[in-house]
Amino acid sequence: MQVMEAEATTVPALNAASRVLQRLTQAVRAQVIGRDDVIDLTVIALMADGHVLLEDFPGSGKTTLAKALGEAIVDDQAPDSSEHTVPIAAFRRIQFTPDLLPSDVTGSPVFDTNSNSFHFRHGPIFAHVVLADEINRTSPKVQSAMLEAMGEKQVTVDNITYPLDPLFFVIATQNPLDLVGTYPLPTPQLDRFLFKITMSHIDRDAELAVLDTWQQRREPGADRIRVGRNEIINARRDIDQHVYIADAIKSTLVDISRALRADERVLQGNSTRSLVLILPALQVLAALRGRNYVNADDLEMLLPHVLAHRVELAPGVADFNRVLRDCMREPLEQLARSTLKAHYPSAG
Amino acid sequence: MIEKIPENSGSARAARPRAPQSVIRASILAIACWVLSTPLTTVAGSAAALSGCLMACLWLDRLHAQARLFRLRTPLIVLSLVIVLALGAAVANWLTSSSAFAQTLGAMVSYQLGQMLFWLLLAAGIGLTLRLLARRHSWGSIPELLFVASAFVITLAAHQRGMIDRPYFIGDFALIRGIDPSSILMAIGVIAVLALAVLLMMENNHKRLPYHFSVLAVLCFSLLAYVQFFGMPTPSLTDDLGLTGQAAAGGGSQSDNPFRDGENDASDREAPVAIVLFRDDYEPDSGAYYFRESAYSQFNGTLLWTAEDDSLDQDLVSEFPSSPIEVTEQIPARDQRRSVTTTIGLLTPHRSPFGLDAPVRFERAPNPNSLRFRQTYTVESLVPEFEFPDLIGRQAGSPDWTVAQWTEYLEMPDDPRYGEFGRELIANLRPEFADDPYAKALAVKDWLDTNGIYSLANEHAYATDPAASFLFGDMTGYCIHFAYAATYLYRSLGIPARVGVGYSVPSANRAGGSALLIQAVHGHAWPEIYLQDLGWVIVDPTPSQTLVDMSTDPQDSLQQMLADMLRDDAAFEAFLQDQAGDSRWSLENLIRAIVTLAIALLIAAFLIRVYRAQIPTLGSAQQQYRLQYRAALDTLAAFGIVRRHGESREAFARRLTALPAFTELTGQHLRGAPGYGLAPAGAWQATGSGADEKQVWQQLRTELQRELATSQPPWRRALAMVHPAPWLASR
Repeated sequence: MQVMEAEATTVPALNAASRVLQRLTQAVRAQVIGRDDVIDLTVIALMADGHVLLEDFPGSGKTTLAKALGEAIVDDQAPDSSEHTVPIAAFRRIQFTPDLLPSDVTGSPVFDTNSNSFHFRHGPIFAHVVLADEINRTSPKVQSAMLEAMGEKQVTVDNITYPLDPLFFVIATQNPLDLVGTYPLPTPQLDRFLFKITMSHIDRDAELAVLDTWQQRREPGADRIRVGRNEIINARRDIDQHVYIADAIKSTLVDISRALRADERVLQGNSTRSLVLILPALQVLAALRGRNYVNADDLEMLLPHVLAHRVELAPGVADFNRVLRDCMREPLEQLARSTLKAHYPSAG
Repeated sequence: MIEKIPENSGSARAARPRAPQSVIRASILAIACWVLSTPLTTVAGSAAALSGCLMACLWLDRLHAQARLFRLRTPLIVLSLVIVLALGAAVANWLTSSSAFAQTLGAMVSYQLGQMLFWLLLAAGIGLTLRLLARRHSWGSIPELLFVASAFVITLAAHQRGMIDRPYFIGDFALIRGIDPSSILMAIGVIAVLALAVLLMMENNHKRLPYHFSVLAVLCFSLLAYVQFFGMPTPSLTDDLGLTGQAAAGGGSQSDNPFRDGENDASDREAPVAIVLFRDDYEPDSGAYYFRESAYSQFNGTLLWTAEDDSLDQDLVSEFPSSPIEVTEQIPARDQRRSVTTTIGLLTPHRSPFGLDAPVRFERAPNPNSLRFRQTYTVESLVPEFEFPDLIGRQAGSPDWTVAQWTEYLEMPDDPRYGEFGRELIANLRPEFADDPYAKALAVKDWLDTNGIYSLANEHAYATDPAASFLFGDMTGYCIHFAYAATYLYRSLGIPARVGVGYSVPSANRAGGSALLIQAVHGHAWPEIYLQDLGWVIVDPTPSQTLVDMSTDPQDSLQQMLADMLRDDAAFEAFLQDQAGDSRWSLENLIRAIVTLAIALLIAAFLIRVYRAQIPTLGSAQQQYRLQYRAALDTLAAFGIVRRHGESREAFARRLTALPAFTELTGQHLRGAPGYGLAPAGAWQATGSGADEKQVWQQLRTELQRELATSQPPWRRALAMVHPAPWLASR
């Protein structure tokens, strides 16, 4: 009978969450054309409390995407909230260059002659959506400051810790080809990103549509869809509570990563943290698809994006998707057969 | 004319094949060439065929990519090969027929050279053409396959037609163990085909591979089916057996000169010709069994030939008996003869039946194995038991003969040398034997024994009178020369004589058994004289000097085997039974068991299918999600629609766009599955009572059936209806 009660409350809560997701997606889609898959993944990452690494070429719309996402979120906190002394910006962009310093990102204490004391000036990282452009061009020192902020949701300057907004979301980019003078992110740092999304050029129709509509999209319209910050936080909570992940799905996840680690084409398999991180993402995807349980489709859709940058392949092996496909086959087969076995409910 | 090989020949084919692959392929083709050539040429010729094909294949594989010669078009190369082959054949023919070569090198050497040249070129041409086609065309391996297969089939078929034990090493081995050598040859053919299949597998072109394999399979199965339904093909390759000095008796189409019987080829001399079963014990005093098939007794102006006058040679029978035949001529001296009955099975075709010494009665005998024996008959012979004193003091000829008969038996070439030489030979006889025909004949035989030289070389064939050329020339020849020379000498001395033709087998060959194997090497011609009251008496010169080794290994086990086969007695049946093993494991029983098992399995499969389709209506509400989905999967599997390995149920449902009902059904299943769609077990209650649940499921399945009916063609639906075990495929 507990189940029936759960069912009764599940539906309205999830409906609200799902509506939030839809609106967020629509808001971004209105600004970015031909990148529906990337938008979905980005929104999923946002809702799942993860960060995204985009690999693409200059001018492919990543700033537009980040900006659209940032602008779609409005701060609907009560103004008297004591949580923040400074209002948090919706969107900030940091261009990473070799001479950038950590304080340029986090902010730094400034001496105030009026009060004769140091006083912390917030850096650009204090925003809902941060676009870290060309993150591999800056020194490891800055990278690690950025990554600490991403992992811990806080910034420590002069031994004082400043918390970031719970919604803090980073879209980092790097150019996959132009590698001269860069500091490539090592695998453990890549592990902090939920997804690494490799984008390709958009198709012909989408490109035409971009040219046709660029003027309209430039002007800020009053009819823009906006989503409140609290709505997102609540949706996150609802999805986490009400979307069911079956044990079979979890064991499939573990089996797949075990198979990957055992595969001779793989030098280093994925971390356990990656499995922890993927669970909320799976829940969000299920909710986005109007389901209150995670199924095999969700797994198949997200695993390549979650695992591609976490797995180090043996020399000479290039196609990760193929390796993953091979490693997924057997666990997925087990999963597909699992429901055909007789399963008798315990008495009562 | 130089042109590039077309682009589509592909890099895989242009590349040089790896060495072991090339060697294996070349060896298989070369062995096929060798097998094909063995019945048609001499040992040297088939060796030349083997090496020619091997070299040609290896050379082509090695040089095809580089040599400028191979940039020509295929038809041009093949055409030039044909021209070279024709030239080679002409040269080979000239080598064989040219007298200049034969005189300098010897007839045999030039003949062998010609054969070697011809077969070397032929095999090399075949090898080159086949490899060239295989390298250049996608269908090129098919002629290769066909060639190898047909080489073995032809040999096999030739074998079936009486060539009982060749190649000897295979045949003897098999026959002794009670295996039909044809199955051995079949096995060799199968091994060759398998070897080719291995080659195909080594080939990297996966587009061609299935194609070639299907051709190979079709070839094998059609061959099997052909043999099964029509029996073995029977080519006419075996009439020419090259019996030593005796070919005229074997084949009917020979020239009417017994000296021109072609080359004496020693390679075939062990070939079995007939098997003789003795029903009565008999050991000849002369040390050899003589089987007379015919005789040359009438002088036709140039030499002695088969009598056309019916009054002559009435002791001979010219046809195989369909009903019992009695010999018309009365055999004299019956009291000094003994009746011996023999059964003879002929393994090669013969013009007339033959029998031991003086046959009196021929009768057909049941043929126990018509594939093996060409003819089987029983002969009753009256074998002589006279001693030397009986022969001395007899008159020559028969008083019953007419003048014409006398004349015919004394007719001879108009050459005074015979008479002079004959009188010279008997001049030294003691006075009491000076007029005795048998003593005269012995004197002649004795002189020939001492001074004649036995040789297989046929140097006198084209002389007007080969016997004179032999006798007054080098004294070198084989049995037919000795027989004619002796006969002419006997006749010149007034003794009626003729040349008997048939087989002479050393009595030691019987090896104490009751059977005697006649081999090609035993073919013989001998002179015989007619003595009053005794009949035809063989006075056979046996030259003490010989240039060739005509001895053969006694083939006791083959002799025993063939005799058992001809006897067709219980022991042989038992032997075969024993070889075949336990009768419970016979082929019929095995097939019956397999068929029964298959039917039982089919019925069981159908029962399971029906059970799995019907059980959801009886199953509990908790199990509906599982049983109904399984039944739907079975329905799809009957149409061949199956979830792929590793494909999720959701992806499977998405794949079947033509069946939206199945997508719904899958959703229903997944939602209802405890531990997957909804939180812990018992979730089934959420969608209402069990009866409603069942109804929903039934509706979905009916809908699925309807969608299948509209989206699938009728034949597919019919197949799905009769599919016995879709549940094996569904998952």
